[in-house]
Order: sequence, then structure tokens, then C-alpha cells
Amino acid sequence: MRYLWLGGLLVLLLNACSTPTAKQAASPIHIRWAHDPETLDPLTLPNQSAIDAINLLHLSLLQVDYQRNAYAPALAQELPKAQLVGDSLTLIDYRLRPAATWDDGRPVLATDVAFTLKLIQCPGLPIENSRAQFSFIRQVRLDPADPRHFVLVCRGQGTEVLNASGDFSILPENPLDPAHTLRQLSLAALQDWPTARPPAPVVAALVRRYQRANLARQPEHLPGCGPYRLAAWETNQRLRFQRKAHWWADTLRPAPFVLQARPRQLVFVILPDDGAAVLALRRHELDVYAQIPARLFQQLQASKAAQQEFVFYTNSSYTMLMAGFNTQRPALHDRQTRQALSRLFDPAGLLAATQLGEGNRTVGLLPPSNPFYNDSLPLLAYAPAQAIALLRRAGWQRWPDGHWQRPGTAAPLALSLRYRTGDATHATVALQFQAAAMQVGIPVTLVPTENSVLTSSLQAGDFDLYISMLKGSPMGFNFAPILHSAAIGSGNLSRFGQPATDQLLMTLTTEGNERRKRLLLRRFQVMMQVEMPIVPLFFLPYRMAVSRQLRHVVASGLKPGYAATALSWATPGTLQPAPH
Amino acid sequence: MKPSPLPPLAQPGYWLALAWLGLVAAVGLLAPWLPLPYPAAAPDLLHIATPPAWLGAGPAHYLGTDALGRDVLAGLVVGARRLLALSLPAVGLATLLGALAGATAGFWGNRLRVPLAAATGLLAAAWWGWSLPIYFIFILLIISTLLLIIIKWRRAAARQAALTVALPLDGLVMGATTLLGAVPRLILLVALAAGTPLAPAQLLGVLALLAWPEPARLVRAQMLRVRALPFLEAARASGLPEGRIWWHHALPHACRPLWAFTPLSLGGLIGLESALAFLGIGQAPDVVSWGSMLASVRQAPAAWWVAAGPGLALLLTLLSLQQIARFLAKKMA
Repeated sequence: MRYLWLGGLLVLLLNACSTPTAKQAASPIHIRWAHDPETLDPLTLPNQSAIDAINLLHLSLLQVDYQRNAYAPALAQELPKAQLVGDSLTLIDYRLRPAATWDDGRPVLATDVAFTLKLIQCPGLPIENSRAQFSFIRQVRLDPADPRHFVLVCRGQGTEVLNASGDFSILPENPLDPAHTLRQLSLAALQDWPTARPPAPVVAALVRRYQRANLARQPEHLPGCGPYRLAAWETNQRLRFQRKAHWWADTLRPAPFVLQARPRQLVFVILPDDGAAVLALRRHELDVYAQIPARLFQQLQASKAAQQEFVFYTNSSYTMLMAGFNTQRPALHDRQTRQALSRLFDPAGLLAATQLGEGNRTVGLLPPSNPFYNDSLPLLAYAPAQAIALLRRAGWQRWPDGHWQRPGTAAPLALSLRYRTGDATHATVALQFQAAAMQVGIPVTLVPTENSVLTSSLQAGDFDLYISMLKGSPMGFNFAPILHSAAIGSGNLSRFGQPATDQLLMTLTTEGNERRKRLLLRRFQVMMQVEMPIVPLFFLPYRMAVSRQLRHVVASGLKPGYAATALSWATPGTLQPAPH
Repeated sequence: MKPSPLPPLAQPGYWLALAWLGLVAAVGLLAPWLPLPYPAAAPDLLHIATPPAWLGAGPAHYLGTDALGRDVLAGLVVGARRLLALSLPAVGLATLLGALAGATAGFWGNRLRVPLAAATGLLAAAWWGWSLPIYFIFILLIISTLLLIIIKWRRAAARQAALTVALPLDGLVMGATTLLGAVPRLILLVALAAGTPLAPAQLLGVLALLAWPEPARLVRAQMLRVRALPFLEAARASGLPEGRIWWHHALPHACRPLWAFTPLSLGGLIGLESALAFLGIGQAPDVVSWGSMLASVRQAPAAWWVAAGPGLALLLTLLSLQQIARFLAKKMA
């Protein structure tokens, strides 16, 4: 007994004296989120945190492979086959993975896909964005011979259509519609349902059941087919996701990248303040911190202690910092006024000041690395003299006291600028524009707005100008959700819309021919620079610090900038060496 | 014989405090005419979080720039002006309101009776303040006028006492101060100022609203003591009206503690306003104050100069006010 005591003491002493070693495989990985997801309803997706969380609980047909920055098959067995029909339709052929099952053990079938698409189109659910986004899928043709095989009949042609056709979370039919009542209605019938007509009784009942399930706060009410389940959610504090002990994709050999789920637990710590997040990182309360502001990143990189503990990654991203005009305001209705005001932004100075010069200036919505980028257009530059000349050309007259007014109008030119509060980059842009506008005699009122109300304020058109980040992708050129007149009130925050641009946007999304697409995209960029509904400032770089104890780190230019499910703790032999 | 002012060497703390506050006041007053190389709210994009010029790091930013490229020196000057334009009037307003409310409550207690017509008028005013539809005011005014006519007629005709109603002034004032004191001031301020940024006049009103209960309680307590003093009995015996006794004799005595208390109250309000600015609540981002400058250090934690300037200015101002309050209290004692 005495020896046992001594032995135990020795083990404890050895343990206490040893240096910190690699973490256990079951240890949670702590990742920083800037915002609470607000809802975990798989059809709503109000922000990036919600998208990331939903991707852990549910799966899509296709998911982004962050290693290749391209879509890869997830629930689909392989990338879909496309067949063009005429010059406006595409038949997209999918087959689901035979191994895919829901948490309740039922297989994932084509009927689930059809049900999800119909559910998205059900009138009564407040998901206008999703409804508009997937309205191009007109029909789901099921294969009576194979319950996992189906064909989507889509309006439009091109890569965008192909990618978008698989980019939505598939939900199970049985728990939500056990009597399969929705099968009696076609997808097209739901899409074309007149707004004045009350929804069909089966639809109304389904919507009630869906809303009663309260998936926004309790996603466990619906079986998923993703690798994780929500274990805890402390609003505005943290979310903990637990890896399912037995997940259907564990049996796949080799496991595709998009279906790898290594961490046993993922904890997303919500820290809106970047300074607090850096502090948490230094105190080892975070293992992954993505999208670090430039100066904090520079300080971390310069710190010897941080170099020993973290690996730093920098990537070009597809996220653009931009300003937008409310084109429906009388003062901003004409393009020359918008062009004039765009000359008061200083993209070069702002890039140097906020990103330390890293990042890419751009002429439009495409990054310079894109093969369709129109490099013959001039980059936007700070030019107050040009702004004054353009204002005069737009009919504005400068009065002796310095203000601008159009003859025949009562109100002088004065603007309100809305942006997300607490974001230093946005604040710098706002202050720079305000100072530049003040110099030419245009008063600008800054309206910093909380993230939770910013989107609704912008969608309601309660602004003259706004500053925002625009999330892009190398995989598609569908700008309709942000510029088409049909998207006014939802994604089209600038409320811009003209028949010519609408036509061009629709042609762009459906164009399958590479050469014609190049021409159209170049024309689109010219048109955007002339109309100037939005002012592209620059593409941001993504900066990330990751604990040296983590392996399989994939840094990407696509949001969120990393693949959380691929991460794993290093074993003692595989720790990344610190620089000397 | 008037006491001679204390020599500087006898009270160095007091004179230093006075000198610092004089400097802050002078800088605040002269801010628009000072030859500052940079405006306070405009960012210098080429010099973000630049150290002070005397460290040899940058050009004419003598005290450096913050994380948004704003000049720290210009911010200090504008912050001093904001102090004068916001905290000083707020404390003045709060002291005036508090003194009047406390003195009234302490002098009359709950004994005051007002004519019924006046009560209706007060009610009308209250409703008007609550933004009821305008026709309510007219109705109440008509009722008040009718009541006044009836009272006058009855007084003249029947020589009867006017219809009066008790006005529990003391209860109202103490109730209001207790209500405001029940919630921590910062929390109340955040709740009132949250939402769209407040205009300077609105912020001033909110600060005054939060600060008046303390002087009110102080003056009320003093008034309770003063009203029992023999000279007031003598004034009453000589037939002076109550209002005149209150205004000419009681009020000046009851307000004496405010001389020592007002600097402390000002210090409290400066701290409160700075806390609000630090949290970024209730004011536009282009309004620079010492509190908002302190907040900007969170975006560049290594830029110590961003915190040092406003932090030191705030500390010295609060210490100076405390020193002056202590001196005045000692002098009055």
C-alpha cells in the first residue's frame, strides 16, 4: 500500500513538472467568431456564423472544398452531370451517396431533396432571400427506379447554375411532413403561387409545424446528416458542437475533404472586439483566430512569444470592402452625382491605412486575379477636383456659404452614411469620406449601427450611403442577388435597377459560352463603373493565427477562411516546430 | 473683516488644481482659434497609430495618432472644449434643478396646498409634457379657467376659503430622487442614451436628469435644519410672506454646502460622460472626446500614447476637482 502511495505521488510530480504537451484528441478546438449566429434555422442563414454552424449540422449536395476553393460533392456521390436544353434550360443529374443517413437512421433520399426545395418555396416562411436564390430550380424529376437519383430542371446555363443547384442544406422529409402531403404540389406550382392567394392547407399546416419546431434555437428538434450536433449555446458567449459518435461518412474510404470531421468538439467563442480576441488568443482561450485586423496581426507576428505558439497565415480573399449609394434617393438618383461622390473615397490611402497595403484594389466586383477582370478600366482614385466638376455637371450649384443645391429643389446636398459599429476599418472609411466631403462642402452624418439592425436598416433603404463587406467567390458570377431590381428590399441594398442591367445580369448567370461570358462580364464591369451604384474600394486579405498544436490547417480566401472540421490536435511527434 | 486669500505655498495642491483647471478651460475656450495642424475627427491615412513626434517617429503629430489616424493633440483640445460645452452646463443645470427642488421640498414638506385650479393646470402641463393630443390641453385649460372664475366668484360672494388640494412636494421630490438613485447611474445613462446618437442638448439634458438628485437631497437636508433656525421664526413673526422668506433667507443658507459639492458633482459627470464615450454609446463617432479617445486604444493596444494623453488629462481634471472640493469644504467648515 505504501509503495502504491509513493508511486501515485511520483506520477503526480512527474505530471506537474512536465512541460505542456500536445492536447488530447478529445480536447475542444476553440475558434473565434465575431458575432452570434442569431438563429440556427437552416433556411434563414442571416450571417456567416450561422452559415458555418448550419454546415456542421446539415449537409448540402455540394460543399466548398477549401483546399481547392471549389465545390465538391458532399451528399451527392459525385459532381452532377449537366445537360443543356435549348438556350435557357439545364438538366442537372444528381445521385446521392448510398451511405448517407439521417440521425434517426433513415437514408437520405431524393424525396428529401425535393421536399427541401418545396419547403424553401412555401409561402408563409420568412425566407425571401432563399426563395429568390433557388427559384431557378423549376422541377425535381425523381427516378422511380432509384430513390437516390434525381434530375433538377433549372432555368439558365453555366457553372453558376451548376454550383448553386447543390448549395443548400438538405432537410429530412419524414419528421416535418410524415404524411408526405407536400408531394401533391409541384415545385413550380409553389413558386408561381399568387401572393394574393392564401396558401394551400397542406402548405399552411407544414409551415405551422416548421415554425413550431423552433429550429432557430433548438436545431436538435430536426435530425440532420451533418457530423456534429449542438451541445450548448450561450447567446453572445459561445456555441459548443459535439461530434456524433457514429456518423455515416466515417465509413467512406477515402474520406473526401468536405466530409472530414476530425475535432471531437468545436467551441465557437463569440468575441466581437478584436483586442479582446487577441488577448484571448494569447491566453490560449482561442486556438483559431481568423480575419485578424492588419495591425494586430503585425504585432502578433512581431512577438517572439506568439511566434512560438502560433502559425500565421495570409491569403488573398474574395471579400471586398465597398460603399454603396441609395440610388432611390432623389439626390443620388443620377449617375453623375454618384460618380462625383465616389471620387471622394481614397481607396489607395484606405488600403494603406487599414490593411498596411496588403489587399488588392479593383475596378469592379471581380478581383484582379479573376480571368474576366476588366483591366482596361481605370482604378478609382481620390479626386476632389473631379468630384466638384462632376457635381456641377450633374446640375448642382455651390452657394456662397459653401453648400450644394440643385435649382428648384429645397434640400441642399447632405448625406447620411451608415456602417457597422465597432469595426475600425469601416470607421476609418467613414471618417475619411466625411472629411473629404466636408472639404468640398457636403455635410455627412455618420450613423454607426449595431450589426443586428444594420441589415434591416439597409434593406429598408434607411440611408444615403453605406459601407459594407461584399462576400465573393471564384466559382460564380451571379450578381443578381445584389444588383437586380427584383432583389430590392432584400439583397440589393443600393436599390439599383434598370431594365438594361437586369437583362445583363440575367444573361450573365445563364451564359454557358466562355467567350461570350468574358465579353458580357467586361461590359458588366464598364456598366457598373459608369452607373456607380456601389463603390468598390479593395479586396481584403484574410489573416489568421492558428495554434501550433493544430494540424491539417487549411487557409482559404473564402469565408470563413479555414476548414474547421478538418482540424485536429497534433500528437507529440507531429507538433509544428517553432521558428528560432 | 474678509479673510485674505491663502498664499500659494500654504495650499500648493489647491493652486495647482486651479491652474490645471484654468488651463483646461482656456484650451477649451480657445480651441477654435488654436493653430492645430490637424482637425480632430479627420483621419490621416498615412499616419495610423503613429507615435508622438518627439519620439522621432513622425511629422507634425506632436502627441501621435490613434488607430483611426486621428491626431491625439487635436483630440485633447476638442475634448477639453467638449468638457466645457457639456459637463459644465450639465452640472450647472443639475445643481440649479436640485437646489430648487430640494429647497422647496425641505421648506414646505408635504404641507403645501395649492388651489384646485392650479392642480388642474399642473396636470395639464404634465399631460402636455407627455405629448397628449393638443385638444386635451385646451379642455384642461378651459376647466382651469372655469374653476378659477368659480373660485373668485365664491370668494367674493361667500368669503369662503378657496378649494385647495395638498401638493406633497417633499414626497414627490424624495420619490423621484429615490427612483433615480435605485438604478446605478451608468446603467441608467446607457439605457437612456442607447440607440441613435444624441444631440448635445439631449445629452446635456440626460446628464442633468441623472445628476440633480444628489444636490436636491443635500439642499433638502440642509433646509430641514435651516427652517427651524430662530431667524426664520423672526422673519415669519414680522409677517413676511412664505415665498419671500424661502427665496431671500432660507435658500441662500440651504445652498451653502453646494459650493463644496458642485466640483465633486462635476467630476462625477465628467467621469460619466467619459464612460459613455468610452463605450461609444449615444454619440456620433465623429465627436471626439477624452473618453472616445481612450476607447480607441482597444484597436491598437500597443499605442500607449493614445491612452496616455486623455487618460492623464482626465485623471488630473478629476483630482483637481476633488482637491478644490476638499479645500472648499475645509474652508466652509
